[in-house]
Amino acid sequence: MTTLDQTLAAVDQGLDESLARLFDLIRIPSISTDKAYKPECEKAAGWLVRELKDLGFAVTAHTTPGMPMVVAHYTPAEATAKTPHYLFYGHYDVQPVDPLSLWETPPFEPGIKTGKGGVKQIHGRGAADDKGQLMTFVEAARALIATTGTLPIKVTFLIEGEEESGSPSLVPFLKAHVEELSCAAAFVCDTNMWDAKTPAITTRLRGLVHDEFTITGPKIDLHSGAYGGAAINPLRVLTKLVATLHDRNGKVTIPGFYDGVAPLPAATRKQWQKLKFSEKKFLGDVGLKYPAGEKGKSVLEQVWSRPTAEVNGLWGGYTGAGTKTVIPSQAHGKITFRLVSGQKPEKVLKAFRAFAKRQMPKDCTITFSPHGGGSPASEIPAASAVVAKTAAALKDEFRRDTVMMGCGGSIPIVRYFKDVLGMDSVLAGFGLADDAIHSPNEKYDVASFHHGIRSWVRIMTALGH
Amino acid sequence: MAMMPRLTAVLDRLDRHLPQTLETLKDFLRFPSIGTDPAHHADCRATAEWMKRHLEALGFTAALHDTTGQPVVLGELVQPGLPAAAPHVLFYGHYDVQPVDPLALWTHPPFAPTLVKGEDGRERLYARGAADDKGQLMTFLAAVAAWRAEGGILPFRLTVLIEGDEEGDSHHLERFVAAHAKTLKPDICFICDTGLWDDDTPLICTSLRGCIADEVTITGPRIDLHSGYYGGPAANPLHALSAALAALHDKNGRVTIPGFYDGIAKLTPRRRKELQALRFNTRKYLGDVGLKIPAGERGYTALEQIWLRPTAEVNGMTGGYTGEGSKTVLPSKASAKLTFRLVAGQNPALIRKNFRAFIKAQLPRDCTVTFDNQTHDNHAVLLSSDSPWIAAAARALKDEWGRKPVIGGEGGSIPVAGAFARHLKADSLLMGFSRASDAVHSPDEKYDVDCFHRGARSWARLIAALAEGVSS
Repeated sequence: MTTLDQTLAAVDQGLDESLARLFDLIRIPSISTDKAYKPECEKAAGWLVRELKDLGFAVTAHTTPGMPMVVAHYTPAEATAKTPHYLFYGHYDVQPVDPLSLWETPPFEPGIKTGKGGVKQIHGRGAADDKGQLMTFVEAARALIATTGTLPIKVTFLIEGEEESGSPSLVPFLKAHVEELSCAAAFVCDTNMWDAKTPAITTRLRGLVHDEFTITGPKIDLHSGAYGGAAINPLRVLTKLVATLHDRNGKVTIPGFYDGVAPLPAATRKQWQKLKFSEKKFLGDVGLKYPAGEKGKSVLEQVWSRPTAEVNGLWGGYTGAGTKTVIPSQAHGKITFRLVSGQKPEKVLKAFRAFAKRQMPKDCTITFSPHGGGSPASEIPAASAVVAKTAAALKDEFRRDTVMMGCGGSIPIVRYFKDVLGMDSVLAGFGLADDAIHSPNEKYDVASFHHGIRSWVRIMTALGH
Repeated sequence: MAMMPRLTAVLDRLDRHLPQTLETLKDFLRFPSIGTDPAHHADCRATAEWMKRHLEALGFTAALHDTTGQPVVLGELVQPGLPAAAPHVLFYGHYDVQPVDPLALWTHPPFAPTLVKGEDGRERLYARGAADDKGQLMTFLAAVAAWRAEGGILPFRLTVLIEGDEEGDSHHLERFVAAHAKTLKPDICFICDTGLWDDDTPLICTSLRGCIADEVTITGPRIDLHSGYYGGPAANPLHALSAALAALHDKNGRVTIPGFYDGIAKLTPRRRKELQALRFNTRKYLGDVGLKIPAGERGYTALEQIWLRPTAEVNGMTGGYTGEGSKTVLPSKASAKLTFRLVAGQNPALIRKNFRAFIKAQLPRDCTVTFDNQTHDNHAVLLSSDSPWIAAAARALKDEWGRKPVIGGEGGSIPVAGAFARHLKADSLLMGFSRASDAVHSPDEKYDVDCFHRGARSWARLIAALAEGVSS
């Protein structure tokens, strides 16, 4: 029996105790969005401090203007300067529980229930998001230390308590602890698997640029009888601007918009094709049928690997009940661009503004929000050593190829790690789409928890080699 | 044959009796007949009663008619001996007035009519309704009174309709007109609710644009979506709405809805020349509102664009997040309100139908559209320049004002003229004597006494011109 096998066996044998510890953590109602629960958040932080100290970590619960930030370091006795150092991120705060009446069991009284098809599930607020997920790497560390007396790498745990309320203290904290927290890479355990049987690493996150614009025509609102025809209508100008943003193939027409965007590697496309992603269900769930993005790209490619220009809001003129025959002086719009790797936010913003200005007829002016701006996409090369090792470890655990996923949205923590600490993030988690995070009856499959612990044992071991 | 008084005698009488006529107008102006305010509905009825008595004193049989809004006063002049073949004229005015807020900005109380001599020597009557429309409608009644006092029979059968909802919901009158279409049946309607071309030049308004309204709501996804998770593959109704509305006009400013221009008579070189002769100051007209370039159909002047050409205008648009900051939402719905200004010859029902079909044709596959129209159609009105009524009015106005009247148009709609066209199949002759400085709808509304007086004299001259036409 190899050391790894021994550790994995220890995980299996200790599963009930691992679950019991997770339940202890879930029982603490650490709702960060409600000030009344601040003592409970502090209690959860304290609970983690004790657990990690017991494992031999050097732990500090740092006070912040908000909830405590738990930082725990483990340096193996035989560590050298060459021993790799990784950061593991999670959060101990949870979402509020309303509407309470919809919960089948009280949210802070965790337990095991049997779901569809006999699947064992941990129920409780935070079971998945993120207490269950963060405890997978805590329990993995416990098993490794118990069976080998140490960890194969230098480990820093960063566990915050404000993730569900926008992490206001996080960036200042990172900035104040750059030296202490900078590692080779960060692991974020707050994402999903592809499906219950298929592990996944999220390697692409789209970036975002937002802007707001105001088109001004006449200097006052006009009567459409007295001026209709002769006076320029800024709402008409606005519709033309929005209408020209895309060509009929769904491509964004702003010159230079796609500069720097690399074509999707054939291997990745092939892998995504094999995922049997149901476009029909994805769109059908929200009442749609036809992919509306760039022609010739699958829905997954559109969401994961292609940039967009989306108008999020338009308004102007009379919007009350009935009719008012007005030609308004101004028309307004809000727009966001989802960016992919290679696109520069400032450049996209500048290109959009130049494009919009060119669309203006002589009698109209356009002004933009002083707050326009954004952040780039993040993409970790799937071929990088840390991703390759993680993917291989997950494959060993699940006996399936690890899917390299994208994420259409942005996950702020990834950006903060990159911007403040200069560190890439590997997003590997064991949640499932039906975990009902943020909703009543949140759950986490026991299998997710169990495989999760075993996966981190494998990943940490692989990283140590 | 009906007796014909001498025009000079009628005009002299108007001059002599001006002080009494003004006193009568002041009595009329003392009623706070704000039709849109329920607190003043009793005042409206009292005003209508006053008008009924006034008409009766002039020799009308008059009655109040209840409507879905304020009462309508309907009077018919009793003229024994009027030939059966005499044409039937329907004179229209309104006794209701605009609200008076902000009251603090009035120099004189709005319902205490006050005569003030201005620095230019002109006398002005200050009161709410002085011009709009009590003063204006009284110009006509003063002329009728003078004509009859000099012993004349009018050269036409006369019905007077004075309503109390003009400043509010025009549907009350529209319903009334529709219900009384059979008995009203005029050959022509006279409306005295418009202005002069400039301070000294009279105007006959021969074209009024009509107006139809519609509201479009486009639905894409059934719920609001996160633009990160769905941005790209999900149809965005804001894009669909923008694309559909952007397609409404071609690059020459023409409306692209199929059949939109069907039925519109070509603008004649003569009419264009007439309009050119007006030396309309496009620069000032647009410059006053911060613009420079006429934005309508290429090949038409600004005046032609607002008087004689139809439009499609978006009046309001909303969808998605419109609050502070940014929200990465891909909304489920987007909507817009539109109005179409129509000119004579266009069929409002057909325009609406074609517009809706046009929008539907623009929609991407995953979007649906609903339409909501809660307004009535206002039909365009066009009185032929060759009409004998215009010829008579032009002559009367030229004689009184010493200048040829401008034969003009009005970009907006006067719903009552549309209602007369639609339900009574009758054209309207629109002439009025209000000046741009009259502050109708604003504090310190006034009517210049010379406008009031020359207005009455203009109507007297028109009656004379028509009498000549009838007797010749």
